[in-house]
Amino acid sequence: MTDAVTEPLLSVRDLVVEFPTRRGVLRALDRVSFDIMPGEVLGMVGESGAGKSITGASIIGLIEPPGRIAGGEIRLKGERIDNLRPEAMRRVRGRRIGMVFQDPLTSLNPLYTVAQQLIETIRTHMDVSEAEARKRAVALLDRVGIPAAARRIDDYPHHFSGGMRQRVVIALALCAEPELVIADEPTTALDVSVQAQIIEVLKDICAERGAAVMLITHDMGVIAETADRVAVLYAGRMAETGPVREVITEALHPYTAGLMGSIPTLTQETDRLVQIPGSMPRLDAIPPGCAFNPRCEHAFAPCREIRPDLMPQGGGREVACWLYDPAKAGELRDA
Amino acid sequence: MPDPLLKVEGLTRRFDVSKPWLNRVIERDGKQFLTANADVSFEIARGETFALVGESGSGKSTIAKMVVGLLQPSAGKITFDGQRIDAGAGIPRSLRRRFQMIFQDPFASLNPRWRVGDIICEPILTFGLMNQAEARAEAARLLEVVGLSATDVTKYPHEFSGGQRQRIAIARALSSKPEFIVCDEPTSALDVSVQAQILNLMRDLQDEFGLTYLLISHDLSVVRHMATRIGVLYLGRLVEVAEGKRLFSEPQHPYTRMLLDAVPDLALSGRRRRRVDGEIPNPISPPPGCAFHPRCPLAFDRCRVDIPQPRTTPIGRAACHALEAAERA
Repeated sequence: MTDAVTEPLLSVRDLVVEFPTRRGVLRALDRVSFDIMPGEVLGMVGESGAGKSITGASIIGLIEPPGRIAGGEIRLKGERIDNLRPEAMRRVRGRRIGMVFQDPLTSLNPLYTVAQQLIETIRTHMDVSEAEARKRAVALLDRVGIPAAARRIDDYPHHFSGGMRQRVVIALALCAEPELVIADEPTTALDVSVQAQIIEVLKDICAERGAAVMLITHDMGVIAETADRVAVLYAGRMAETGPVREVITEALHPYTAGLMGSIPTLTQETDRLVQIPGSMPRLDAIPPGCAFNPRCEHAFAPCREIRPDLMPQGGGREVACWLYDPAKAGELRDA
Repeated sequence: MPDPLLKVEGLTRRFDVSKPWLNRVIERDGKQFLTANADVSFEIARGETFALVGESGSGKSTIAKMVVGLLQPSAGKITFDGQRIDAGAGIPRSLRRRFQMIFQDPFASLNPRWRVGDIICEPILTFGLMNQAEARAEAARLLEVVGLSATDVTKYPHEFSGGQRQRIAIARALSSKPEFIVCDEPTSALDVSVQAQILNLMRDLQDEFGLTYLLISHDLSVVRHMATRIGVLYLGRLVEVAEGKRLFSEPQHPYTRMLLDAVPDLALSGRRRRRVDGEIPNPISPPPGCAFHPRCPLAFDRCRVDIPQPRTTPIGRAACHALEAAERA
């Protein structure tokens, strides 16, 4: 997947997102860096409050004020998009980056038919006639698996079931043929049997069009089946990235390992689940050093003082943990 | 099963979802009913964990509510330790004390204006099990049992995280010394690492106090981890009941098989999820015959007409005409 020659489609470097509050500034994201290659599916996992959705929102420039990007940069095909003016950002959003949100009921306008919403979106981003846009919309609905698309396109969102609505949202996200689709918990509101259908549609259709996907979810099962690479977030920081199979089967970071062990699976034989003591720190109480150190059974002195950054481990893997470079940790500590 | 703790027979619940009277008259519409549960029967033995799984709208929570007496069944019997408990107001307090419930959302199930100590003491005082001072001490002790600190009694729920609140809800459920706890999606609102803590705690408490659980969940892996026996619901009917682990290795009913195929696989066995077509039908107008027949790969003529009755299978019971036909062949 990682090719030294190809340029990443999306490159996020040292992204910092802050929310000023009455009691001081909260850092929701603290120097987060990752790349997405063209056509790649990157899974972004973490527990609630880890900063998954904020990462997605900052890429598409939809952080709610007073939150703001306080540092770092986001590049789409080499071009910075984090400092674009609202007008210019609007042309990127939807056109070059599509979005699929968790709740299909709130991401569709209940007062317009699906046809109106799709045609409007297509014509906003592409120079085509109304009839041509409608033809494209029908083809797209048909592709995402809506039966009798030509007839159902004139229905309102409430005529569709949850799974069908999410298909419409996927069609909406893809109608301007974006290079990147950000899917934020696309299946969380759906039942398992429908979830499988939606993931398949999202994955196949993006592969077909060469669109990369950033899949944000807390469901490791979905990541395991869908993603090429995975990035694990903890308390607004990157804990680990790497190819999905390696990260799941032999996690490097103690947090990732604990997270994997705590998930009951359909084949496990153990009687007790691995449990990580405590819970993720609140943003106003992140401990010094590694954010995970109070819960980590392997923590040693440097972990409590110096924050580890992502360190390459070969095979496209990176981990932010001093266990993998104790010598450097010691040097930094003495310095 | 000899001497089950809870026995549910032919449990049915219908909800009136008709339009208002005037609309019905003007539009010449009849009354409409939603059958949330139809003819559900199962037994729970002492000390076991019986789990009910199903997708949304399958009637899991309605069963939970009827079992603890928050809803009246439209038909059917619920027997707890030999005594009928579906008769509503007539349940003696001594019996009420013996079953409790843990709800899904710990942000909604704890009163935000009450101190944690008062929340935990309430069942003790309501049932008159102890005096005020003893109840206070008991609340502090229970907080330690569930892994919190005894000094937390004076705090308010908003000072705790989701997982800690669920621990408080568990402490409250334990305070009346129940034998039977109905857990309705106890970990669905929690993150996985916290879910593992709560599931482990529930197991430890079961061993320590000899509790019996009715666990309601949509998460098959949680159910597999926790349950001794499992009931699978589809559109309000129990399609299969089976021993815990064997349900996963030898599923009998086509719906159970479909559900298992649909679960995302963390083990990365390379298995491609089998595509399942269709969605759960509208429970107001369920399909005739077996409710699963429009999505079932094995469906034949009889499935479209007859509602299948549960039959014994190698691992429990299942209601399916195709299984019966296969058995005869």
